Amino acid sequence: MTMPFYVTPEQQMKDRAEYAQKGIARGRSLIACIYNEGVLLVAENPSASLNKISEIYDRIGFAGVGKYNEFHELRTAGVRWADSTGFRYSREDVDARSLANVYAQYLGTSFTDGGKPLEVEVLVAQLGIRNKPTKIYHIAFEGTITDETRFAVLGGDSETIRTRFVAEGDDVTSLAVTLQRAVRALSGPDRSIPAADLEVARLEDLGARRTFGRLSDDFVTQLLTQ
Amino acid sequence: MALPLFDVTSDPGPSFQNLLKMLNIPLSVPGATDDPIHATTVVALRCDEGVVLVADRQATAQAIAARDMRKIAEADRFTAIAISGTAAAGMEFIRISQLSFEHYEKMMDETLSLEGKSNYLSALIQDVNLGTPFTVLPLVAGFDINHNRGRVFEYDGAGGCYEKDDFGVIGSGTPFAESALRLGYREGLSLAECIELGALAIYEAGDNDPFTGGPDFVRGIFPIVVTVTANGFVEQPESETRVIFETINQRRTASKGRAGGDLR
Repeated sequence: MTMPFYVTPEQQMKDRAEYAQKGIARGRSLIACIYNEGVLLVAENPSASLNKISEIYDRIGFAGVGKYNEFHELRTAGVRWADSTGFRYSREDVDARSLANVYAQYLGTSFTDGGKPLEVEVLVAQLGIRNKPTKIYHIAFEGTITDETRFAVLGGDSETIRTRFVAEGDDVTSLAVTLQRAVRALSGPDRSIPAADLEVARLEDLGARRTFGRLSDDFVTQLLTQ
Repeated sequence: MALPLFDVTSDPGPSFQNLLKMLNIPLSVPGATDDPIHATTVVALRCDEGVVLVADRQATAQAIAARDMRKIAEADRFTAIAISGTAAAGMEFIRISQLSFEHYEKMMDETLSLEGKSNYLSALIQDVNLGTPFTVLPLVAGFDINHNRGRVFEYDGAGGCYEKDDFGVIGSGTPFAESALRLGYREGLSLAECIELGALAIYEAGDNDPFTGGPDFVRGIFPIVVTVTANGFVEQPESETRVIFETINQRRTASKGRAGGDLR
């Protein structure tokens, strides 16, 4: 009879974390930040059709990095969660914090359970109204939620990008300036990212019930050159 | 509620109706009552620029149950959906269809085509009409951005969907509204002319059908007028619908209530 190797729980978690982090680091990063009229989501994404950023509900946006099929599954589950909650109760009762908790619960369980840990990091952004604040919830691969009041960076190189973004200034400013700062933080000083390789969306009150909108390449170029 | 995840073989796809079934959330269509409230007449007309819809505001049981009901809703930017039949089922029908189109759009990152929407509703009608004692008949009209023209779809109670190339009418005031439309509709009507004709059709229905409400000058409640063109769904403000119906009313007063002659 062979004895199974003993692996300490610490080592097991460390291995799993390393596995997930490696997967996440392979993809490109994204930033979500608050500007004076709403929330801006900016991702470096050469694909025009495989989106990292999308709409969940009237005032809730989603973004994910890492393995596409895994965060895509989380995205569709989020849309289903929001639409069925809104149908059962009311549109006002669909809340980003509850959704972030549900994501955290799922990611946390997947991380500690036997299967392969998910190689994703997601964020849920909410455009505030009345009793609900404008918030960005960042949920890491092991289910940790952080609630950010100004910006969040997701992806492999997040520490460097975070430092660069902080260095750009800490005031809440216009859409154009915020986008320029986010893009500079994503690209770093040594390269520039063309508008076609950027996926940009925002949550902003423009009079309609739904506040999520994608920004076209032309509009992004225009904002970047302002 | 936990995160609704499904395995590949039982995934409900982008259909909101399937999702509700998978989650065991019933369509909240009411049970039988002796005296359901009915919603009535709506017309939709096609013209080169798009479509025009006009709907009365009355809901009727044994007495008038509501005078300010809204029977036309914006299903999405380029689609209007209107209902007649049992009011409770109808309002729920509007809610589900609106949510279904939005759900599809978010799930697929693409808008459902107008024809896709009209077909989706066939199945929903079957669910509501054949599964409950109530009947709801919708009318779908919108601007088809893929084909760049206005389109109107009518349904029968079993879910059959019929595209109309001129106009569609639903509700108990149909004989009267349809007569007015048949006499007044011709090729090449402008959007403004369609609004006028649609309003006249609803005026006729309100004048003759006890379950259809005409313009209510006392309370300042007027039929809803909606246009859907390349610019999207627009509901005419009350200040304008008031003028439209005042004009018809003045003409009708001058002719001592007679509708004939130069189509008044």
